[in-house]
Amino acid sequence: MNTTMLVPTRQRVSRNADRVGLGALIVASTCLVALGADLVSGPLLPVVVLVLVAVVVGLLVLVAIGGPQARRLLAPYGLLQPGILWLALFFLAPVWSLLRISLSTKPSRFSVEYSFSWAFDNYTTAFRDFGKQFQHAFVYAAVATVLTVLIGYPLAYVIAFRGGKYKNILLGLVVIPFFTSYLIRTIAWSTILADRGPMVAILDNVGLVRLFEAFHIMNNGQLLNTPAAVIGGLTYNFLPFMLLPIYVSLEKIDTNLVNAANDLYSSSMRAFRKIVLPLSIPGVFAGTLLTFIPAAGDFVNAQFLGSPNTTMIGNSIQDQFLKQNNYPVASAMATVLMVSIASLVLIYTRLFGTEELA
Amino acid sequence: MNTQINSRRSGMTRRQFLAGTGALGALGLSLPALLSACGGGDGGGEASLFFENWPLYIDPTDGATLGSVDRFIEATGVKMTYTEAYNDNNEYFAKIQPLLGAGKSIEPDVIAPTFWLAGRLLALGWLEKLPLDKIPNASNVVSTLQNPTWDPTGEYSLPWQAGMSGIAYNIDVTGRELKSVEDLFDPAFKGKIGMLTEMRDTIGLIMMGLGKDPSTVTSFDDASGAFEKLDKAKSEGQIRAFTGNDYTDDLVSGNFAACVGWSGDVLQLQKDSPHVRFVIPEEGGTSWADVMVIPKGAKNTDSVGKWMNFIYDPVQAAQLSAYVQYVSPVKGVQEELAKIDPDLAANPLMFPDEATSARLRSWATLTETVEAEYDAAFSKITGA
Repeated sequence: MNTTMLVPTRQRVSRNADRVGLGALIVASTCLVALGADLVSGPLLPVVVLVLVAVVVGLLVLVAIGGPQARRLLAPYGLLQPGILWLALFFLAPVWSLLRISLSTKPSRFSVEYSFSWAFDNYTTAFRDFGKQFQHAFVYAAVATVLTVLIGYPLAYVIAFRGGKYKNILLGLVVIPFFTSYLIRTIAWSTILADRGPMVAILDNVGLVRLFEAFHIMNNGQLLNTPAAVIGGLTYNFLPFMLLPIYVSLEKIDTNLVNAANDLYSSSMRAFRKIVLPLSIPGVFAGTLLTFIPAAGDFVNAQFLGSPNTTMIGNSIQDQFLKQNNYPVASAMATVLMVSIASLVLIYTRLFGTEELA
Repeated sequence: MNTQINSRRSGMTRRQFLAGTGALGALGLSLPALLSACGGGDGGGEASLFFENWPLYIDPTDGATLGSVDRFIEATGVKMTYTEAYNDNNEYFAKIQPLLGAGKSIEPDVIAPTFWLAGRLLALGWLEKLPLDKIPNASNVVSTLQNPTWDPTGEYSLPWQAGMSGIAYNIDVTGRELKSVEDLFDPAFKGKIGMLTEMRDTIGLIMMGLGKDPSTVTSFDDASGAFEKLDKAKSEGQIRAFTGNDYTDDLVSGNFAACVGWSGDVLQLQKDSPHVRFVIPEEGGTSWADVMVIPKGAKNTDSVGKWMNFIYDPVQAAQLSAYVQYVSPVKGVQEELAKIDPDLAANPLMFPDEATSARLRSWATLTETVEAEYDAAFSKITGA
């Protein structure tokens, strides 16, 4: 009997359910950004929290009372909700704070409060004083990325096509060292490369020191605390991030394609160039991104394997944040780094990006 | 029929999913409250104490020989925690600044910053007064370290250890004894020189080398020559690294031929590494003191009083000095130490005689603006 009365309401709710879902998502994430970035305070704070709770609860209620059509329309928003809210709280809110502090000034040297004042000179300082560190970061990361491709590609190729039943063991051997802490591995290198360590002794005995010096790998008889050591550390530490995506894309390739090419009198080299390489490019592409982005912001390798003349921007940001207490300039530097990496990646994607990853 | 079942099944999952999401959300909202409820549970019970100090700065328990901390625990029953997480003054300041600046307390009940940082903390109002009525032994502090200019009443600080900054070197690498600040700039040691991130120690020593006196500086210009010299050496690759207290590793392993170092560290290292040496250069060195202070809002000030009183007993202080080998701020230690180890009691690096003292300078107190200039110029050179 009641159904006749309920039907119109239900239909109305159902028809607008997706709009309600979208609205709820936007309101909830705005609330979270406001809370996370510390934008609200005092009496407004409980209001924002209440709105956030009300929206989430309201959505659940709508799901409960709405008909199947409403539920179907709401489902995408329900699925998006955790991800979007997570990003709102842990990405958008921090980025907002970062931008805000990067345009702020400190009222006095040791104050913990920052007053927002459109202080663009923080950016001027970032560029003027730390140009060299930006340069080091991008050059070292780029060289390390190229080296990881040169080392990682052949290795992945051998494991994928010649690994046979040892495939998993070989992959394991690549990955196992990385179960140890990043820091420990890097500090271990500083022991290996030390002036009186095994590496320098071997090179000295074999008589390669002069050759290494000519290629600027060694400097003044030392291996540690040189640009080469920093790049080497980056290459070593990020190798799996290059190798694994390449391996996955090589592994997918149907070897029959290569056999077919050989049957058609293609040389192995040509088959590789025309078939294997193009099919594995998505892996290389993913690998370069996974390597270059974290390597450009890295500070651990330059800290333990570098010298005062090889500092990367990550070191400077860390120093400004953690030692000089200069949050505004540090935030400006972090923003510049983020924007420049993002634009580089965008350009790179446009130039070399593949369908599968776009 | 089939489609109906399918849609019903997917409907179920969706409902379950949404219910699950809701439950997660509710959990997320209630979790912080739950955690804070748990956090409020501790406190009370037996007396405890947390001392955060520099590395290589206390005698550890070695077999049957109890270290200072364990002797204190045995004598007083106070549950003491001792950590060595203090590697660099600026770094530590940056760590505690957001908390103390916001009126919150930090974990340690007592820390031992270098005198200039203690002065800054005091000026910022971030220190508690010492419970001096519970520290009768405080009268044992040597007169030269009593009531420093930055704490004229002596109510906020008691020195932990004093010492000197000079040149530490690894004779296996240098192949010769060093004696001058100029040796740090010897091209033969290119890429094998370490400098401290502690601005006053590094710049102070270079200033002494240039014939300038850090105890009389009033403006940046007084030290600009030293900054230029350091900058040039860094650009030319003379300097391998700027380090905190961790310079000791590179010195022992031979990555550093020489570096700016602290007297007691090197004397301690000599026990296992006789090839490591320390010298106050002929141009002179700097002296400093690290002082125990109680950060604002510390919970166990009574225990801090007990600890300070314990360690200011010359008998206890002598055992500490026998290990750390810095300059003790406690009167009567030399006599007590003579009973344990007469050689140490005669060491001028631990008990500087007139001639040694005359070659040492202590940094003047810099005004906030001048200090900011020094720090900015220094951080620009150290780069990282």
